[in-house]
Amino acid sequence: MTTLFPMLAVSAEGATGLPDWPIAAPAAGFGWAGLILWLPLLSLLGCGLCWLSGTRSKLPAWITVVSLGLAFVTTAVLFTRVDAPIIIHLFDWLVLDWRSEAGEAGGFTANFSLYVDRLTLLWMLFVTGLGTLIALYASEYMAGDRGRGYARFFAGVSVFLFAMSCLVMGDNLVLLYLGWEGVGFASYWLIGYFYTRPSAVAAAKKAFIVNRIGDLGLALGLYLVWSTFGTVEYQGLFTALRNGAAGEALLHGGWSVQAIPFLLMLGAFGKSAQLPLYVWLPDAMEGPTPVSALIHAATMVTAGVYLLARLFPLLTLHPAALPAVAWIGGLTALLAATIGMAQYDIKRIMAYSTVSQLGYMFLGIGVGTTFGAAYHVFTHAFFKAVLFLTCGAVMHGFAGQLDLRRLSGLRHMPGWRITSYTMLVGCLCLAGFPLTSGFFSKDAIIAEAFSHGGTGAAMLGWLALVVAGLTAYYTFRVWFRVCAGPAHYEMGDEHHGDDAAHGAGAGHAGGHPGGHPGGHAGGHAGGHAGDAGHGGGHGGGHGSHPHAPGIAINLVLLVITACALLAAIPYFLPSGVEGVAGGWVAGMVAGSSAAAGLPASGGAHGTFLGLDPHTAMYVVSAAVGLVGIAVAWRLHLADRAAADRLRGRLLGNPALRWLPVAMERKWYVDEIYDALIRQPLWVLGHVLASIDRIVIDLLLVDCTARLPRLLARAFQPLYGGLLQSYALFMAGGVALVALLVLFMPELIAKLGTILGGGG
Amino acid sequence: MADRLLLLLPELVLFAGAVLVAVAGLSPRREIRRALPGITAGFLLVAMAAVAFVHSGERAAVAAVLTPMPALTGWVRLATCGIAALLSLLTVGTIDRRLEADVQAGRLDFNPLMAGRGEFHAFFLLSIIGLLLCTSATDLIWLFVALELTSLPTYVMVAMSRPSRRAQEAAMKYFFLGALSAAIFLYGFALLYGATGTLIFSEMSAAFAAQRAGDGIPLVANVGLVLAIVGIGYKIAAVPMHFYAADVYEGAAAPVTAFLGYVPKAAGAVAMLIVLGAVGWEGGLPEPVLTTLWMSAVLTMTLGNIGALLQKSVKRMLAYSSIAHSGYLLIGIIAGPGLGITAVILYLVAYGVMNTGAFAVLASLERRGREIEDVEDLAGLRHRHPALAVALALCAGSLLGFPPLLGFVGKLYLFIAGVEAGQVLLVVIGAINSAISAWYYLILVGVPILGAPTARSETVDAVPSRWPRVAAVLAAVLVVLLPIVAARLAPRIDAGTAVRAAPDPASAAAARR
Repeated sequence: MTTLFPMLAVSAEGATGLPDWPIAAPAAGFGWAGLILWLPLLSLLGCGLCWLSGTRSKLPAWITVVSLGLAFVTTAVLFTRVDAPIIIHLFDWLVLDWRSEAGEAGGFTANFSLYVDRLTLLWMLFVTGLGTLIALYASEYMAGDRGRGYARFFAGVSVFLFAMSCLVMGDNLVLLYLGWEGVGFASYWLIGYFYTRPSAVAAAKKAFIVNRIGDLGLALGLYLVWSTFGTVEYQGLFTALRNGAAGEALLHGGWSVQAIPFLLMLGAFGKSAQLPLYVWLPDAMEGPTPVSALIHAATMVTAGVYLLARLFPLLTLHPAALPAVAWIGGLTALLAATIGMAQYDIKRIMAYSTVSQLGYMFLGIGVGTTFGAAYHVFTHAFFKAVLFLTCGAVMHGFAGQLDLRRLSGLRHMPGWRITSYTMLVGCLCLAGFPLTSGFFSKDAIIAEAFSHGGTGAAMLGWLALVVAGLTAYYTFRVWFRVCAGPAHYEMGDEHHGDDAAHGAGAGHAGGHPGGHPGGHAGGHAGGHAGDAGHGGGHGGGHGSHPHAPGIAINLVLLVITACALLAAIPYFLPSGVEGVAGGWVAGMVAGSSAAAGLPASGGAHGTFLGLDPHTAMYVVSAAVGLVGIAVAWRLHLADRAAADRLRGRLLGNPALRWLPVAMERKWYVDEIYDALIRQPLWVLGHVLASIDRIVIDLLLVDCTARLPRLLARAFQPLYGGLLQSYALFMAGGVALVALLVLFMPELIAKLGTILGGGG
Repeated sequence: MADRLLLLLPELVLFAGAVLVAVAGLSPRREIRRALPGITAGFLLVAMAAVAFVHSGERAAVAAVLTPMPALTGWVRLATCGIAALLSLLTVGTIDRRLEADVQAGRLDFNPLMAGRGEFHAFFLLSIIGLLLCTSATDLIWLFVALELTSLPTYVMVAMSRPSRRAQEAAMKYFFLGALSAAIFLYGFALLYGATGTLIFSEMSAAFAAQRAGDGIPLVANVGLVLAIVGIGYKIAAVPMHFYAADVYEGAAAPVTAFLGYVPKAAGAVAMLIVLGAVGWEGGLPEPVLTTLWMSAVLTMTLGNIGALLQKSVKRMLAYSSIAHSGYLLIGIIAGPGLGITAVILYLVAYGVMNTGAFAVLASLERRGREIEDVEDLAGLRHRHPALAVALALCAGSLLGFPPLLGFVGKLYLFIAGVEAGQVLLVVIGAINSAISAWYYLILVGVPILGAPTARSETVDAVPSRWPRVAAVLAAVLVVLLPIVAARLAPRIDAGTAVRAAPDPASAAAARR
């Protein structure tokens, strides 16, 4: 298989000598940590009750914020108390015990237990922390839907937090799978929140169905792990792996063992929106923006990274596994970045940027720096949350307007200053501006790609560098267009307050009719601040003026922005583990199973043009980022007409005409999938349906179904309602039984052996 | 003696309750008469506490010695008191409805001679006492008296349940056919006495053991057992004693039908287990008994289900389905000690709850002052009474055995018990029947929830009293919640199902005392 990736010198030595990492042992007295799981459930219950009562207060939001806040506090306390990895047993869940015919002992254990090590805590800290903050943000953002929709929204958020905690904290793969499906369900629930809008329903279905493909891979992978290693509990699994079970399994196993890393990968690529399964994530932006920020940018989509980091030792089961992860990640990063450059809907740009950044994380795992991947997850969670939440504030304030051609100079408008500058910070982090958190985490990955050694890894490094430049360009394209420049806007066509308008019974009928304006709708009509809304005539008495974000949104924006900036600090904190460079986050990872994916200290053998990559990258990537920003400044702020001229020139050039169009149309991936998968399935579905209708329904079902009814008709005359006849039938029945017993013992014995079995 | 009296504490409590409500029902004060169902429920809850008290701590060991099957005595009595308390909520406002309305409107002076409510609730409690006594029967006479104490009040209850000719007709049919069945099983008891020379189960079981060790069980004993089983089959509406069920269930008012669906059926199942316990499942039931039970089970399930298919009347549909459920119960009875008896007990509880829930919905609805009849009356119930529609859907789903509802757990245990006992074919037939039953149960799920209201169903309204609705919702909640408890309870019930094969001299002596 290595021949498939001749360019990439594979670090197959990992398979033979996995480094030591601490394996958790059960610990007593930590039962309270279960609160991290139970609090979101309580909040779900509270929101459910609010839904039932149909309250129009903000109670569901406060219930959720308080529960999630407490969950965060619990996580923080757990963080301070836990040093060595521990397992916290909550209760027995699936404990099966069987003995095969040969007397061989067998069993299957998957308890409701928590596996708490540094990797778990790292993930849980930002999951619960960001969860709390974004729930607070949503309390204002969703205020227009107060009523049942509001409770439904927060119930979904609670379900998500519960499932995500199961996924990250579970001590076995079954609990992880429960959480995996749970977050998928919560995601479906929340993407389809505006369920009267066909595009939202379609997006929810798309997310769910595309994820099914990945989940199938994960489920098969779990089965193979169990059948190979005989356990799904991390403790047993890691112990076996450390004792060299992998090598043994490979000797005996063959393809079923070698398939494990690829199946797990498929699961991770589905959930984390990588090639070829990334198509659901951009559409998932149909959900309310806090959901996009929490689930589809900061937390859920990093589950795939978590899975691969957690099970990193399993990735060494096949030599091509890590290169595959790296290449998929790198190519996804490039593809998504090129699509993001040509979109007009700012939320959609952020969505593609998320796909692209997730690609970086997989690239990091693939080149053997789980620390870089985890650190990028950590920083990305904060700055992408900021970017989404600012996009949300814009969408909220301008009645759904997200087209960057129709918004400008936000920072000059009253009340929008915080939004503009927090967005600037988010953009700087995403673009990898020097000394921001994104700068360090991205560098850790790119540098490691170069120092990993091998032509393939170096190619990936160059690829990542190019993508860094593209990222800087499209990020600042958004900011220069929307926040800088002359103040000017057009309102969107979205209404708030569906529930208020229609009453609890009517639900959402008629709410949010327009949806996105569609990135390439064309037309630049509009006025200047102050009179634009009247000209537009949209908004139905509500949205003709933008309304600036209120206290909750601004507060959350400031706090998360601060977090995004402070996320650079861990890079300089000591790791606390000897021999591990890369600061606090690296130390976090070093205490877990992902430590197997850390670069060996001093083992850097690749170079960047003859320089030490880690040192050189600070300068090089900073330069690349600044070039990207400069290009964006030239095209989208200094001379906006230049962008149109460039586009016109490209369109006028017959050799390059296809390029901008293809980028805008997302490289036609949706269309290709439609033609290759959806259409054939559609035809097949219709063929099967007609077989079902004719053969099964008509011939088999209807005939079978008629039989009992015919029988029933045959017996009906027996029940005439006449007392005497009933008595006669009963007495006759008794007589028949008695006669059978008295006179036909042989027959009965025969019948008994035929019918009675062992009775 | 004192031990025995302590064991009967719940029955004594209920007896005091029966006397009290019989007298209180004659009171000229309306509030007292209105409180009768509440008083009944109160006594039932006290009796429930008494059961728990009698079977807890060291008293449990004493109770275990005194009864043939401790699990029956404990769990069935406990469950019965609970379900009966639920049933008593259904009866609120049913009995003497017209009379009470007239008295309240001043059209009539209250006349104790015309009042039936006190009597009704006294009979209600007496019938429950009969069922409770069945569970601890140690000899044939006790069992017979207890069975009749269960049944006789129900004949009267059917007659007075509603002022209509159909109720009277149903009561007459029920009474006469009941007498016929009593004659049959009494004849069976007599033959059993003739074959073993004793009336006491523990001694009878020793006699059977001796006969098994010797020439085998004589024909007289086999005929006696078969007649006893078939006769008791009347209580659970098993083929061929099922003919009355549809007419009687339809004729009685819904609360009484719910009562008939649980109390006599539980008594019959318990009595069958006790009688079969005397001959013992070890070494297999005698061939004729097994064959009788087997064929009865198959026919009961099948005839019950296909009978229900064609019904338009909801009550008649549930009546036939009740026959089918007796067929499932027989699987557990055939399977015997261990899982079989556990399954029977669990299924009785499950059936009691979900059947009560379904009838509670019917009891909560009326059309122009009369009970609803047709399935069509339920169309679009969700729009006006969402709680009732959901409760009905949950109960019907549970009756169908839809996982993870209570009925599914009950049926699962029965089927597992059947497979463990080697009755694979029987279980397969049971599963097929379960599938057939989906036809009509899904109507009860679909019509209220998905159906659009029709002109006819628009005229259906809730009865003035809220208690039947409360009972329906409570039953629906139990249908959802009990499965969680059931899994934990099953092993504990299991521990008490062992039948004493050989007579224990101490207990035999205790039983005689």
